[in-house]
Amino acid sequence: MTPNAKTGITLAVLCAAFSALTLGFLSGPGETQWRRPAIPLVDTNFLDRSTTRKSYADLVRAGEDLSDFDCYACHDKNKPPPLHLDTNGNIIVAKEHPDIVMGHGRHGRNNNCFNCHNETNLVLLQPRDGRELKFADSAQLCGSCHGPTYRDWEAGAHGRTSGYWDRSKGPIERKLCVNCHNPHSPRFPSRQPAPGPHPLRDIGATAGPQTGQE
Amino acid sequence: MGRRSFLRTSAVLATGLAALAASLKPLLEMNDFPTMERFLQKYYKEMTPQDMARVLKRIEDETEKQYGLRPHVRDLKPVDGVEFVYCLNLTRCIGCRKCVHACVAENNESRDPEIQYIRVLRLPDGSLDIDKADHFYSPDSVPEKGYFYMPVQCQQCKNPPCVKVCPVHATWQENDGITVIDYDWCIGCRYCEAACPYWARRFNFTKPSIPKERLNPDMSYLGNRPRRQGVMEKCHFCIQRTRVGRYPACVEVCPAGARKFGNILDPNSEVSYILRSKRVFIQLKEEMGTSPRFFYYFDV
Repeated sequence: MTPNAKTGITLAVLCAAFSALTLGFLSGPGETQWRRPAIPLVDTNFLDRSTTRKSYADLVRAGEDLSDFDCYACHDKNKPPPLHLDTNGNIIVAKEHPDIVMGHGRHGRNNNCFNCHNETNLVLLQPRDGRELKFADSAQLCGSCHGPTYRDWEAGAHGRTSGYWDRSKGPIERKLCVNCHNPHSPRFPSRQPAPGPHPLRDIGATAGPQTGQE
Repeated sequence: MGRRSFLRTSAVLATGLAALAASLKPLLEMNDFPTMERFLQKYYKEMTPQDMARVLKRIEDETEKQYGLRPHVRDLKPVDGVEFVYCLNLTRCIGCRKCVHACVAENNESRDPEIQYIRVLRLPDGSLDIDKADHFYSPDSVPEKGYFYMPVQCQQCKNPPCVKVCPVHATWQENDGITVIDYDWCIGCRYCEAACPYWARRFNFTKPSIPKERLNPDMSYLGNRPRRQGVMEKCHFCIQRTRVGRYPACVEVCPAGARKFGNILDPNSEVSYILRSKRVFIQLKEEMGTSPRFFYYFDV
């Protein structure tokens, strides 16, 4: 075989191979992709900006039912309601107030409705210093015991903030103590966490506590 | 030229051309060709207001074409006498991750593939060892006993390593302390991602996707306008909100009130009060010398 013929055969083979590859690329299905598991959209409940609770002022503004705050619809105006304590000194909340669970403080001493409510006029609140406050001014009542927290709240370092940081452009919107804390059991409630970063595994296959909620 | 050599040459040429055509085939599938306008766009800091107006209109047109929704894109400049600082109360954070998703919604981050600027770390009580952190935690309810939560996002460093490594000056620090990225100038080399000690920068490996109904039409050039495949992005303190005086989305959504934001040059701002009077655990990875504008603090 002459060198010339050898070159010719090599070139012919290479041409054929490249032509085949070209045809393969042009007609093939394109690159095969790794199928990533689809990531679901987050539930819009997790985008909700509302507070944990509604304050008295919020209820008034929203025109909602205020009958809970109309104490004298049931109570007698001239007769302070009696307090009932069990043998351990814990308060027994009357069955007419099913939504009240007393759990204010872990020391168990805050067991008297009239530590905060005014017993002679139930629609008022009374701090220990003798002031009389309306429900809308409840923050001052909280502050009469929780001084450092009240100081931080007034300075904007405690509690929720929204609106404008630049007061010349618009108002800042602060929330009240009762927007987050239930005054009868003020511990901040736990909640379901929003889904974390997707692990990019097929999470159906590894069902368990790691799967999160979508 | 003989017949034999002519045939040989033309066979080689034809095969070569076909191979070239095959190798260019991905270009046929590319639908995001830069227009001449985008290709010739000037550097952000060299643009005149007229140039910028044209660019903003182009971005609005492109976004409308892609999402079927006309956004309002602005180019907001830093305000004089303002330096932003962020404070996060580790005592209050309950790890609910609402900030993560409020940020995604506000800043038009890709949903699938997923891009999130904020990562909430769960750490065992009594430790600040990041090696023990878990960010995939998923219990039925938070907070969990024995853990605390530390959200990490761009720390807007005073001495940002990411800016130093950018070979094309596509990222820089503005006068109000926000480190920004020009998505039209970024070449996607990811040096900044490697330089950042906080894992705060995110890369668009594939084309980002956002459902039309979840697109936030209030956009800014250096902020939350839609990104393309192959560019970096990160937290920018919600430029489109904070430069018009509003709070960032993560501050407004935090149910526990753990997030605080404001102007450190204003002695009456919340952040000034916090840095003055609360117990502040200096800054994350202080030893890196990055001097973050993001402070973690505690209630005592």
